Amino acid sequence: MLPDGLRDGLPPDAAHEAEIVTRLLASFARYGYARVAPPLVEFEDTLLDGAAATIANATFRLMDPVSQRMMGVRADMTFQIARIATTRLAKLPRPLRLAYAGQVLRVRGSQLRPEREFRQAGVELIGSAAPTADAEIISLAASALRNAGVSDISVDINLPTLVPNLCRALSIGDSEMGSLRAALDRKDAVAVASFERGAALFARLLEATGPAADALAVLNEMDLPEEAAAERTQLSEVVRLVQTDSPEVMITIDPVEHRGFEYHSGLSFTLFARGVRGEIGRGGRYIAGDAESATGFSLFLDSVLRAVPGPELPMRVFLPHGVKPQAAAGLREKGLIAVAGLMPADDDTLEARRLGCTHIYRGGRAVALDEDQGS
Amino acid sequence: MRANQPLVLALPKGRILKDVAPMLAQVGIAPEPAFDDPDARQLRFKTNIQGLSIIRVRSFDVATFVAFGAAHLGVAGNDVLMEFDYAELYAPVDLNIGHCHIAVAEPRDMVGRDDPSQWSHIRVATKYPEITKRHFAARGVQAECIKLNGAMELAPTLGLCRRIVDLVSSGATLRENGLVEVEKIADITSCLIVNRAALKTRPAEIQPWIQKFQEVADAA
Repeated sequence: MLPDGLRDGLPPDAAHEAEIVTRLLASFARYGYARVAPPLVEFEDTLLDGAAATIANATFRLMDPVSQRMMGVRADMTFQIARIATTRLAKLPRPLRLAYAGQVLRVRGSQLRPEREFRQAGVELIGSAAPTADAEIISLAASALRNAGVSDISVDINLPTLVPNLCRALSIGDSEMGSLRAALDRKDAVAVASFERGAALFARLLEATGPAADALAVLNEMDLPEEAAAERTQLSEVVRLVQTDSPEVMITIDPVEHRGFEYHSGLSFTLFARGVRGEIGRGGRYIAGDAESATGFSLFLDSVLRAVPGPELPMRVFLPHGVKPQAAAGLREKGLIAVAGLMPADDDTLEARRLGCTHIYRGGRAVALDEDQGS
Repeated sequence: MRANQPLVLALPKGRILKDVAPMLAQVGIAPEPAFDDPDARQLRFKTNIQGLSIIRVRSFDVATFVAFGAAHLGVAGNDVLMEFDYAELYAPVDLNIGHCHIAVAEPRDMVGRDDPSQWSHIRVATKYPEITKRHFAARGVQAECIKLNGAMELAPTLGLCRRIVDLVSSGATLRENGLVEVEKIADITSCLIVNRAALKTRPAEIQPWIQKFQEVADAA
């Protein structure tokens, strides 16, 4: 038995996952994102530095017997990419576009996604605060998912800094803000109405959730303080750009969503696919290193796999014992899978089925097993 | 767009169902006749609305079905929501039905004889171990919970433990079993709950139902 949340990848799913990752990375590359590959394990103090402190609780630790220092296994690759961008690649021109894919390990799975180890694939765009950067990231996420076979994608755009900004403007303290955010996250209109200060404002914000056009209409009617109004302007610009770039993607807006955006510093988003429980990826703005504005997203492969059609079984040809090696080589050169019979079999057709083949090599060509008449 | 997949509304069996039935009529949902027959073995029911069906499950399971997206909408008491604290659930409408509260109770002869400020550990029989642990942990008391699924009031009488945490509406059951309510934990009401991913990916189908339930709840 394996520990909770860990599993073996078996055929054909393991190959299918690798194929999806390859397709995602190819999409990232077409937008100019270059791949980087950070290590699985790092010293705790660099792995959990700055914004990464928010995932400290999810991180497995181990002691390095050589240096006698504490190390952590990555629980999210975003911070590693930000570290690379702001240290080793600090001198490269901005905006810097990086892509990655790899396994992450978490101390706990969630109720909906019990996986403790899963593959992440994503991109980071470092050194631009422009709305066009946010729009590129969202459009790229959508197009990469589409190329990987996901249909009916929807993006929920969030403003995790809006509520704190408004709370500051209304001088609402941290502890009150905490309970307010919990109520807003639950979309609990009754609990929101029970707050003394700003109840009407936050109730109105709750109404500003839903399809982009409706939500923006409500937001635009609201009288917001300066900082919050600037966020609204950025939001409508990004929505306009994404709608132009990717008209087939459904955009919803939820200005009060906060869960999972603990380290984000601006416009963020969650990716969903119709009929798939839970989110398939998320992303948004954060501060890389000390002061560089960055945005990016990561996709969760376990969830992406639930959103794509199952693997197509490839053509797999059985070569009865005694078929000449040249014939086999010919099939393999054409890119087919050719599985050799190592011993003579009583019934080659049965043997082909037993080994999971779809075709059998007869008289110089591959014949589908269903059509095979025997020899 | 894919062809419309049906929406599923999960309703709790028992107490709350009686209060929900008139609201269903007001929002324009008429379940098939078998729904009102308590002896029917059927678990899933068609309605007058094409593409909307109803399932009838235990109240704790309503939250689970909706959290995992097996049902898209549901009606659940906030006792259930507090106990599970699912991140995938939204509770946008207080339906203002099924009012009661969740409270700590103990045998009448114990009241006044012990001092709660000296507790470090207590043992409680309850259907709500998470709510109970959280409630007592907030003041530094470790609560050892014995999970029961019903008839909590028997536990103190038979010596299973001395205190219970349970829903109280009139208090009659407590009185009949020689128990007294000593502390209220929270007020309970029933809410319309919605699956987060369903609301994000199918807002045009789900938002109108939220609005209708809101209007009916406001009018009541």
